[in-house]
Amino acid sequence: MSKLNAAEVEARLDAFFEENLKLVQLESGYRLSPESQNVARWQTRLYWRRLREIAERVTDTEVKLSLPEQVTPRTKVKFGIEGIVDIVRENDRVVMYDLKTHEASYIRENKELYRQQLNVYAYIWKNLRGEPLDETAIICTTFPPEWRGILQDEARLAPALAAWEPVIELDFDPDEAADTIRHFAEIVEQIEAGKFAPAPASQLKEHVPGTKSVFGRYVCRNCDARFSCSSYREYALGSSAPTERKFLDYYNDLGAEADREDFIDAALELAPTLADPDEFRD
Amino acid sequence: MTLTLEQLWKTAGFKPNDNQRAAIQHVDGPLYLPAGPGSGKTRVLLWRTVNLIVFQGVSPEDVYLSTFTEKAAFQLREGLRALLGLVTNATGQPYDLAKMYVGTVHSLCQRLLLDRRFYPQRQRGQSPALLDELGQYFFVYKRGRWADLTDGWDDEDIPERIKVLFKGRSASRHAAVTSAISLFNRLSEECADPGDIISRADDETLLHLLEMYGRYLERLAEEGPVARTDFSLLQQKGLQLLERLPQAGQVFKHVIIDEYQDTNTVQERLFFRMASGHKNICVVGDDDQALYRFRGATVENFVEFPARCRRYLGQAPRTIPLNVNYRSRRRIVEFYTGFMGHCDWRKPSPARGVFRVADKDIQAASRDKAVSVIASRRLPPPQACAEMAGLVREILDQGKVENPNQIAFLYPSLKAASVKVMIAALENVGLKVYAPRAGRFIEVDESTAMFGVFLHIFGRPERGEYGGDYKAFHDWLDRASETGAALRKADKGLDSFIRHRQGDLERAKNDYLALMKVVEKKKWDLNATYEVDRMKRALYDAPGLSETGKRTLSSRRFERAIALRLAERATGRPGPAPYTLGYVVARATSIEGNLLDLFYQLCGFDHFRRMFDLAERGEDEGPICNLGLISQYLARYLEEYPAVLTAEQLVDDRFQRLFFASYLFALFRRGESEYEDAEDPFPKGRIPFVTIHQSKGLEFPVVVLGNPRKQGNEPQVVEKLVRPLLDREGEPLDRQAEFDRMRMFYVALSRAQNLLVITHLGGQGNFASEPFASLLDDGMTRIPDFDVASLPAATLKNDDLPKNYSYTGDYLQYQRCPRYYMVFRKYGLVPSRTQTMVFGSLVHRTLDDLHQFLIANRSAA
Repeated sequence: MSKLNAAEVEARLDAFFEENLKLVQLESGYRLSPESQNVARWQTRLYWRRLREIAERVTDTEVKLSLPEQVTPRTKVKFGIEGIVDIVRENDRVVMYDLKTHEASYIRENKELYRQQLNVYAYIWKNLRGEPLDETAIICTTFPPEWRGILQDEARLAPALAAWEPVIELDFDPDEAADTIRHFAEIVEQIEAGKFAPAPASQLKEHVPGTKSVFGRYVCRNCDARFSCSSYREYALGSSAPTERKFLDYYNDLGAEADREDFIDAALELAPTLADPDEFRD
Repeated sequence: MTLTLEQLWKTAGFKPNDNQRAAIQHVDGPLYLPAGPGSGKTRVLLWRTVNLIVFQGVSPEDVYLSTFTEKAAFQLREGLRALLGLVTNATGQPYDLAKMYVGTVHSLCQRLLLDRRFYPQRQRGQSPALLDELGQYFFVYKRGRWADLTDGWDDEDIPERIKVLFKGRSASRHAAVTSAISLFNRLSEECADPGDIISRADDETLLHLLEMYGRYLERLAEEGPVARTDFSLLQQKGLQLLERLPQAGQVFKHVIIDEYQDTNTVQERLFFRMASGHKNICVVGDDDQALYRFRGATVENFVEFPARCRRYLGQAPRTIPLNVNYRSRRRIVEFYTGFMGHCDWRKPSPARGVFRVADKDIQAASRDKAVSVIASRRLPPPQACAEMAGLVREILDQGKVENPNQIAFLYPSLKAASVKVMIAALENVGLKVYAPRAGRFIEVDESTAMFGVFLHIFGRPERGEYGGDYKAFHDWLDRASETGAALRKADKGLDSFIRHRQGDLERAKNDYLALMKVVEKKKWDLNATYEVDRMKRALYDAPGLSETGKRTLSSRRFERAIALRLAERATGRPGPAPYTLGYVVARATSIEGNLLDLFYQLCGFDHFRRMFDLAERGEDEGPICNLGLISQYLARYLEEYPAVLTAEQLVDDRFQRLFFASYLFALFRRGESEYEDAEDPFPKGRIPFVTIHQSKGLEFPVVVLGNPRKQGNEPQVVEKLVRPLLDREGEPLDRQAEFDRMRMFYVALSRAQNLLVITHLGGQGNFASEPFASLLDDGMTRIPDFDVASLPAATLKNDDLPKNYSYTGDYLQYQRCPRYYMVFRKYGLVPSRTQTMVFGSLVHRTLDDLHQFLIANRSAA
């Protein structure tokens, strides 16, 4: 194999990361807070450190899978399904990996959801493309939040890393894909019909498996459009008329304190020097 | 079972004529397809590509298939996917288009620049960041940059001189920027090297502009975290890459270009460079439909294609004209072919030939000889428009079209006064119109209301003593402010929210003054490293400092971050600099929530919330589309300027001046248009009003040419300026305006399928341009004499191409929350804090780079 040692590769990885960080921020126009940047940086590093043996065996990267010629059940609208995976081919053995920036605990609790996805991908790969496939798995890049304090501390990080199980193997069955594809078609029909009612208010109080939160906190509180959402309003304010104080608190809630501080730091860090206020007047 | 092309045609219901068949089956050597309107040219290209991939064993990644607009590219990509889907259904053989180069020339240039095949160790290529039109405008317009670009130009009034050179009307800096950019782009498209051409400039202003262009190129390359480029230069970068690459001619086996009449110089060179190895270049186009001179397109590239082939490839192309029109009724085809005959296209003697593909012999497939071209009577605008509206009403009432969006009104420009008269006439008979380019985006109701509330929170900038655009803008500010006042009055909650926001701003300003007093008293330097032990107490005790300010100053989290930075610095590794005192002051006096947060908060109040509700129920998507556009303009502001409001920006009304009086004013002056959906351009139930440029490539059962008039015989100023700088022959400057006018109207006339109606305006100051005036006087059927019952009924075609849905981005996202999906994915509102998408693509791209690097490393070992 290569003559590069792990540290050299990690140095290259860091360089790739910095380059991409500039690019994705420029392309999307969004800024990642320093904390998010740091988390993303460490996700890529820990992937390399923990899953080196997989990383070194990947043969086909970012393979775009597509299933054309699908039709919605009632309106008969044509559509196609797309997804992206990585492939390892080795000694007659082919493994398909789907990289996700989710936490392993979340995926373990919601296995069925991901299994369905891999079934569809496996169906495209195996049945449509006629390629062999022996195994499918999800790779989670998100590390447990309690590691944030020990990332620089090699002595404490190493054992935690060794115990970490970020690869979740899921058995696949391309024959089961049909049900998922059917459901996919139903969803496309709803999208095309313009049906966009939010999740019902009752669902916002339900616990999200694999997390410590309810839906309203785990999902909705991170959604910028929550202030105009009827379900979130009911979840946050109840159904009776709120007091002015409560009403203002509802609007002033821009997320958890730590995230808010991060957000300001991200913006201040990148802030250009004060612009000429009459820049475009003449 | 072996499948044949003939069988596929049968399945698809396609019966090619002889020439179409010959073009599809030509697979070797250059091919030239001059095509008339409605001759099925895109279809021929798609079938030809299918033939190559399915029957000739050409792999999709060996084909380069391109066109010029996003919409046309979508048609090519999805059209090809659909045809190949037919093959898969029949044979089970799948085709993967992911690696195929199919798209707009611009997007494919970007892809070339990133293509790992062309870089060592399969690294991601270095594509410069792309500035869009608005981005380019701000780039040049920024005061500091403008001063830098014009440095050395010892004149007190540069805009005035540019105005004179461009024969413009305004001597504003805005006008000067717009003119300069039009010249820059033209030069970029010609691959002109400023150093080479500067000696040819005989005008001092032009000379300065060329120097500016050179400096503009330098600044794009060197400023900012990565090099930048604009749309015009992007293609030059692609060309430079190919010119460096020895295998450039071998990358693609087939190069296929649609709408070739819109090709400019740099694109032509790019295409021939790619085709230099296999010599399989196929171009299709119609010189009579060339509309994009103002973007540097050179119709000669198409007209002279056979000669260019001989020059670049040493081989003449096979020419196969596609001259049968399947779109329009016979008399329509006769009318527009006759129309083109009214112009003298001959080259001035002693040259021979014409500035056109000669002898087109356009034939109508239709045998229907009944009247299909009519005009209103020559009447003053109100009456002529009323007559037209009556006709439209009758066509709809008699069911000759199924939906109003099948009747299109085409105009050279939608800003003309007669457009308003026509809209009023249609509304008068109970019809609704859709005219996105008729007005400024900033003046739509949603934007006026949103910025009206912003004005109440931040305060209105002062109005100066100016007229023109400036006055019009400030009048809009007044209207917006009145709208804001009315909304406040109607919604007590909103009023209370606004007062609290005002309180935040006041608090931040007071805290800033309080902290700065301490800094001054202690004679500290704001740029010095912040020292918690020495400075925190004094700042915390600043007289009058608010509770919020105190809390921010003593944040544990922030103190940990400070300590971490100092520790990292001590290790000697490269990393961020320690926090400065100035940073700490700014942080303590910053406003929680940026402009986008404020936008989303305001969307929670009834007036705006209703717009979301309408979209959720699928009733009306217009308002939320405009909210999406507002969020995009806010995001752009946050990209260019401090994303967090700090108290420093509130001093001297700096923010009001920058945001309202500068930024919004610039958007106002540029006349940025309303939201348009590229994939679904014409909403049902409304009559579309479109510019002739927008109508290109489209067809409608009924077309109304709103005003057959366009004046002026002067060539475009940029044309005149660059002609002496370049070594190129071209259409004579004094004929260009006429040629362009003919081609533009030709596009308009050839959009009609069943009925073409011309509005003949009379009365004071109204007239039809030639050759319309003569054609209209030549026994044209007038609306009162036309029997609507004779019009064949048009059915709604469902030729929507299938859309692709992503498993994670669409399916899973919709299931998690349909409303989230609607807001961010369907209508493209820009999120403020929701960062998952960027986060995910950052991690994915980096790991992809890692995998690619490891693969390259393995194969090298």
